[in-house]
Amino acid sequence: MKKLVSFFVAGLLLVSGCGAATLEGENTNTDTAVEEKDASELVVGVSVSTLSNPFFVSLEEGIQNLADENDTEIRAVDAQDDSAKQINDIDDLIQQGVDILLINPVDSSAITPAVESANTAGIPVIMMDRSSDSGDVVTLIASDNIAGGEMAAEYIKEISGEQAKTVQLEGVPGASATRERGEGFLNIAEVSLDVLDSQTANFDRAEGLTVMENLLQAHSDIQAVFAQNDEMALGAIEAIESAGLSDEIQVVGFDGTEDGVNAVKDGRLSATIAQQPEEMGKLSLQAAYDFFAGEDVPAKIDSPLELVTE
Amino acid sequence: MEVRMTGITKSFGSNSVLRGVDFDIRPGEVHALMGENGAGKSTLMNILTGLHKADDGRVFINGEERIFSNPKEAEEHGLSFIHQEMNTWSDMTVLENLFIGKEIKNSLGWIKTKEMKALAKETFNELGIHLDLNRDVGTLSVGQQQMIEIAKSLMTNAEVIIMDEPTAALTEREIDVLFKIIAKLKSRNVSIIYISHRMEEIFKISDRITVMRDGVSVDTKNTSETHNDEIVRMMVGRDLEDYYPKKDAKIGEVVFEAKQLGQEKVFKDISFQVKSGEIVGFSGLMGAGRTEVMRSIFGIDALDEGELYLEGEKIQIKAPSDAIRQGIGFLTEDRKVEGLILDYSIRDNISLPSIDGFKKHFLIDTKAEEDFTGMLVKRLNIKSMSQEDPTSSLSGGNQQKVVLAKWVGIGSKVLILDEPTRGVDVGAKREIYQLMNELAERGVAIIMVSSDLPEILGVSDRVIVIHEGKLAGELPKAEATEEKIMTLATGGY
Amino acid sequence: MKNEVENIQIGKKKFEYKELVTKLGPLLALIVLVIFVTFLNPSFISATNLLNLLRQVSTNALIAFGMTFVIITGGIDLSVGSTLALSSALTAGMIVSGLDPVLAMIVGVGIGFVLGAVNGLLITKGKMAPFIATLATMTIFRGLTLVLTDGKPITGIGDSFIFKFMGRGYLFGIPFPVVLTLVCFAVLFMLLHKMTFGRKTFAIGGNEKAAYIAGIKSDRIKVMIYAISGMMASISGIIITSRLNSAQPTAGTSYEMDAIASVVLGGTSLSGGRGRIVGTLIGALIIGTLNNGLNLLGVSSFYQQVVKGIVIIIAVLIDRKK
Repeated sequence: MKKLVSFFVAGLLLVSGCGAATLEGENTNTDTAVEEKDASELVVGVSVSTLSNPFFVSLEEGIQNLADENDTEIRAVDAQDDSAKQINDIDDLIQQGVDILLINPVDSSAITPAVESANTAGIPVIMMDRSSDSGDVVTLIASDNIAGGEMAAEYIKEISGEQAKTVQLEGVPGASATRERGEGFLNIAEVSLDVLDSQTANFDRAEGLTVMENLLQAHSDIQAVFAQNDEMALGAIEAIESAGLSDEIQVVGFDGTEDGVNAVKDGRLSATIAQQPEEMGKLSLQAAYDFFAGEDVPAKIDSPLELVTE
Repeated sequence: MEVRMTGITKSFGSNSVLRGVDFDIRPGEVHALMGENGAGKSTLMNILTGLHKADDGRVFINGEERIFSNPKEAEEHGLSFIHQEMNTWSDMTVLENLFIGKEIKNSLGWIKTKEMKALAKETFNELGIHLDLNRDVGTLSVGQQQMIEIAKSLMTNAEVIIMDEPTAALTEREIDVLFKIIAKLKSRNVSIIYISHRMEEIFKISDRITVMRDGVSVDTKNTSETHNDEIVRMMVGRDLEDYYPKKDAKIGEVVFEAKQLGQEKVFKDISFQVKSGEIVGFSGLMGAGRTEVMRSIFGIDALDEGELYLEGEKIQIKAPSDAIRQGIGFLTEDRKVEGLILDYSIRDNISLPSIDGFKKHFLIDTKAEEDFTGMLVKRLNIKSMSQEDPTSSLSGGNQQKVVLAKWVGIGSKVLILDEPTRGVDVGAKREIYQLMNELAERGVAIIMVSSDLPEILGVSDRVIVIHEGKLAGELPKAEATEEKIMTLATGGY
Repeated sequence: MKNEVENIQIGKKKFEYKELVTKLGPLLALIVLVIFVTFLNPSFISATNLLNLLRQVSTNALIAFGMTFVIITGGIDLSVGSTLALSSALTAGMIVSGLDPVLAMIVGVGIGFVLGAVNGLLITKGKMAPFIATLATMTIFRGLTLVLTDGKPITGIGDSFIFKFMGRGYLFGIPFPVVLTLVCFAVLFMLLHKMTFGRKTFAIGGNEKAAYIAGIKSDRIKVMIYAISGMMASISGIIITSRLNSAQPTAGTSYEMDAIASVVLGGTSLSGGRGRIVGTLIGALIIGTLNNGLNLLGVSSFYQQVVKGIVIIIAVLIDRKK
């Protein structure tokens, strides 16, 4: 077995020496001059992390609406939250010869090979909502999640008071949104709130419900909940309402989805840090237009955030 | 009910199965229908009960021409067919089985258990059956399940009951009960069509015998006016000088010995020896523990105590693979469930226990495998177009020969055969006996478990009788008679 | 007697026809699919796209190869996706903590083998139904992966040429995952169809009782088979980890479904006893062509899932017909 492996390795090194074994992304296209193109001539590849989440559906709608106005052709694929599927999808988009890629990655590190492939193929990349750990990108369009987390903590302090007993519902472990919103929230909360517990509910409404039920069992004195997205917040509200604690517990969500904003209007949700996914989508496509118009595009574009309260 | 079938013809594709068969049943008679497998008995009965449609010929019920379009319709008109493989639901109770699909219900669809119980009890009493209605059918013996089938057909007011090999899986005692029930049915003017291979039974209970061969009815005789040899002659179309071939293998040294074998609550203190070239018959009632002893010798079930010796040396058997390595082969009671992989080819089945012997540079040497199975197919006279045919396409006798070929192939020194001729027709039976003799001549020690007393007497050199998990006695060929064996098997002395 | 012979002949012809349908059905479906997609978008048939497609197929194909053995025995392995994630995380973890990447990959594959063997032991010694046993280990392995990674992807695997080569390399212009898949295919093909191990696998699936009585150590074979399934998942995991340049805690989620679909599309019977690994390869290609082709045709991802499901239903219906 060992012999076989060393034989294999030796053989591999040998062929690599001869140039038969190569890696993808090695011979990067150095041609950086941008051929100017009109919006109606562009074919734009869009890869979204998941269309099972209304947020990204709105994001895609934002792109699509602007594209329709300008007669731009959109080729959209859905990674279904699977990093491996996403790079396959992007390979397929590159294969179709799209002019530019708008990517909303499942994961910032796992997307790098795809970004590198696009670089090799000479296709510019714009990242949406989440960044890529390496590779050349034109720009990143994202809400400032850290600032959003801070906004949420500040608002909880305002309505439930200093050192209010708070729990946090986290998103998919490891996702950058989870990390950044959590980081921003804790920046403020560790000083001015009493964080009792922090549990993941995977950005999922049903899990938000069950995790909240459990938290209510574990802690009888919760005053506020910060959910890292509206879906989880809405799940948590169901748990709180059925426990008859709606008056005692304030819930703050994040994203400002349609359901979330409606819940705020109905007074069920105290507030949501509204991202504007449609706006984000529009900004992304606009950045693509700017790029092909030969204009300078900043390395990071903030998508507007807004605290939505009654 | 009077039934008359005339000139029945039936082909499946180019294969003509029935070629103008005449057959009739009188009210209240037991009419035996005999013939080798493939003679057309089942097809004829299936035409009568509406499962198949005859190509030609007429069926008269009480003088009136009538063709049933499906078995259910036949049942409604008083014809019921008890198949060899019974349709019982083993996880349901006796009561549920009796009334399956015919539950007595009130207008709301509620099942009226009380009425059902009363009717079942009445029927059971009439037949002299004693069974707990709440027991799961799976826990009953084959014989008891058959009683349920008979009771079922009586409850549908059957006037003609067709029984296909009803005694194939029954013990002597159960057969007696069955015959008593048949007598009661006769007295109620119910007619029985009795399909069986067992000559002595036929002569015991039937009024008339019809023999079929190759799709024609050879003749119908009054039982009292014919005899065994004549029937066999009609069945095979030639004289059989002797039903059981003469054995002249030399009996040598002890090859296999079992000492004090025991398995909790099943059997105890089982000790015996088998010599090379010897055929030892194991007799006993169904459930006496014969099969269980053999299964634990072969390592399928665990032995709780006892020792096994092969050629004087103590051996350990924990799994069938150990037994096979030692040169022990085991033809199981149920070839379809445990003996064969029915979907697989003859070759795959035959070479399975010896497959590791065909390894050549990690790969299977298919040429050697083919030659090996080819040789066995020829030697055991397995009738098929090619080794590639699935074993499911073979007749019962040929299937059994494939199982035997497996064990001949590993070069067994000891061969355990559990009911080797069950469901096998007369011609193939004889071939299997001849094979056993041939193997014995080559020094193989053979253990044969059989519920067929004439077979035990005709084939074995020595008979060992098991009663309720214990050795009841041992009889050399010269002393063994049906009466002696039955006395030992039922616990008498 | 003559009738009997004729009867057997008819039976035989039928059997051969059946064989033919089993053998060529999936291939025919693949060819029709390829022609259909090419007709609608000619760029499908370009060399680069085909190489892309093969590379995309490789991860599923590897898992499906192992799954073929499992399904032939009449079992199922739901834990492959989680096994993939756990072994990937461990491999990546070892590389990050400084172990030689080649050694780490070998250990990683070994871990996959052991995780699979655990399934096998639960099923044989624990006498659990494969569905239940692997359903349980599916969540256990996934949970362990999350514990181990703290829910975050493991990055910073470094730039070992060999490791990068596994997922991103090209050998004579062919993506290395494709080469690796073909090598695994060849080895497993021999194992299943030319060696006694395969014969025993089929025997267990055809009639486990009869196989056991014929002296086949069915427990041992089954443990090996689940171990192979786990091992193939971990090899697939290495390719994915290398391609993604990181080990994802959620990697491989629901991969068992595509693998099972590939096996079934390839004509292997879920009730066990019948199947061919060539069929599985074709099945994986069908699934891959669907994914890639529907992307190229710009079909909405929601419809893609509908189409995939319909194709599986049609395939199984055709399989039932013959």
